[in-house]
This record gives sequence, C-alpha cells and structure tokens, in this order.
Amino acid sequence: MQQNTSSASDSLRAGNRVVGYGIAAIVLILLGAAVFLFLNLPDANAFNARVERLFVENDLTTGAEIKLLEILAQSGTSFSEVLTSYRSVIFVLLVFATALLIASLVFLVTIIALNRRISAIQRSGIQVSSMLISREARAVYINDMEFALTEAALETLAVLAEARMDDEVLTGVQIESVISGRSEADCDEAAGATRVKRLRDALGNQLVSELLVKTVARRGYMLAVGKDALRMI
Amino acid sequence: MQRLSLSLVAVALMALPAHAECYADYKAKQDDPLRLHYGVAEVPSCDKAAAEADLTPRLAAAGWVLLNVLNVFGPEGLEERKASAAEYFLSF
Repeated sequence: MQQNTSSASDSLRAGNRVVGYGIAAIVLILLGAAVFLFLNLPDANAFNARVERLFVENDLTTGAEIKLLEILAQSGTSFSEVLTSYRSVIFVLLVFATALLIASLVFLVTIIALNRRISAIQRSGIQVSSMLISREARAVYINDMEFALTEAALETLAVLAEARMDDEVLTGVQIESVISGRSEADCDEAAGATRVKRLRDALGNQLVSELLVKTVARRGYMLAVGKDALRMI
Repeated sequence: MQRLSLSLVAVALMALPAHAECYADYKAKQDDPLRLHYGVAEVPSCDKAAAEADLTPRLAAAGWVLLNVLNVFGPEGLEERKASAAEYFLSF
C-alpha cells in the first residue's frame, strides 16, 4: 500500500541515512584513490634499481665509469626526496578534498530538508514553532507574538494544551466539565463548543484559529501544535 | 694394471693446478647510498654457478651484495683486469 503522507521526522531520518551513506562513500572513494596514488608513486629506490640494472647489463667496469654511475644514482636519490614531499602534498590535498565533499554533501542534504520544510510551511499556511501560555499575563505567545485573551478563553486554551501534551482529543462535554468542575453528565456539548468558538474568535480570524484549534470529526477538539513547541507558565 | 693407475695419477696431477688457479670477476653493490664495484676474486672451482655461490657469503660479510659473476678464468686473465678492479683486485 502506498503512503502519500510523510512526517518531518521521517524525512530527517532519511536525510541522516543519506548523509551517512554519502560520507561513507566519499571516504571510501578517496581512500581508494589515496591508496592507488601511493602505490603507483615510484619508490625511492626506483632510480637506484635502474642504475644497478645499467651496471649489470653493460660492460662498465672501469673505476671512472662506476663513479659516474654512482653519481647518477645520487641525483636519483635526491629526486626521491622530492617525491616524498609530493606524497605529503597529495595526501593533504586528498584530505581537503574529502572535507570539502563531505561539507557539500551535508549542505546539499540540509538544503533539501529546508526546501521540504518550506513547502510544508507553504502548504499549512502557518507553522507554530512555539506556543507559550501565560496565565499571569492572561496572554498566549505564538511564535513570540503576544495575543491577549479573556479569562475563559485562556482557560479553554490551557485545557486543550494539557490534553495535547497527553495526545488526547477532548469533546465539548469534557472541555466544559474540566473548566466548570461539574461532572460530565451535567455538562452539555454545546457549552464546550461555544468555549472553543470563543477561543477561536479571540485568537483572530476563523482561518488562522481553525489551523490552531483543530476539530477532529466525531471526536472533539485538539491543538494543532507540536508537543515540543508547547510551554506553560 | 700398474700402468693404468700411474697414468691416472698423472692425469690427476695435471688437472689439479688448473682447479686451484681459478678466478672470477664480478659486480657487487651496496645500498643507501648506492655504491657499485667491479672486482676480481679467487674462487675454489672454475664453475660460474659455484663461484657465485661461493662469492655471495664472502661479499656479504663485508656488506656487499653480489649482482652477477661475469667470467671465470685462469691466472692468464688476471693482468688485463687488474686496472679495472683496482682496489677490489683479489681483496675478497
């Protein structure tokens, strides 16, 4: 069965997996390249071996000729010191390349995640990243914007927030019962619905508050705010 | 019978000095830094492979690695190689 919904944590996990595999692949490829390079660089003794072969294969026996061959070998040895420095330069460059590739991969994944998030924000219209209910100031701070509320509306919001933290959906009857302190049998659905309506009206226009206080069909009302964004003082 | 053994002894006596007077010229090296030398040395038998086997440990004792043995020759070949071998003439 195909799922056409995705949550933020899902894409985050997928992103982390991509980063993990990507970093492993980069390190593996560049490590392979480094090993290949180091194995293919001529050995420090390569020149000496050539001179030795020259000596063996040719009829070079007089002292002067042998001296000349030794001098040739010495110049080769000094070249091999240059090769050693090349080796370290190549190694440093490879490390840099690895770091840059890893950084660009991380940035790429970050950009993709951000793009997804931006499109999610565009879809939902409003994203509540923080919601602070202050009973003292009789206000609610949504995304650091202050909204003054009436005592009753604040009470309704607090009840909904507490229910949200427990992942509960409250019916109108339950809301009314918690706020008024009477038993559920004595409360009626319309009273709770009115409280929700007043809260929505107090918070602003219908569209915005509809996004904030969600109506779950046949079950009740729930804050459409992430649990970790909620705080109460 | 006696003549036969006598001639055998005579053959052996004739062959002996030829075996005793064997020389080989060779090439050897030292690593780090690379040093090369061409030398002449006395060897117990006039066989190239045997001379190689004999020279390898003798040179190794002085820190040299035998590269190859060029020729094995008798005393008549010494004079022409003396100048080339110089300090390594019969030194090992």
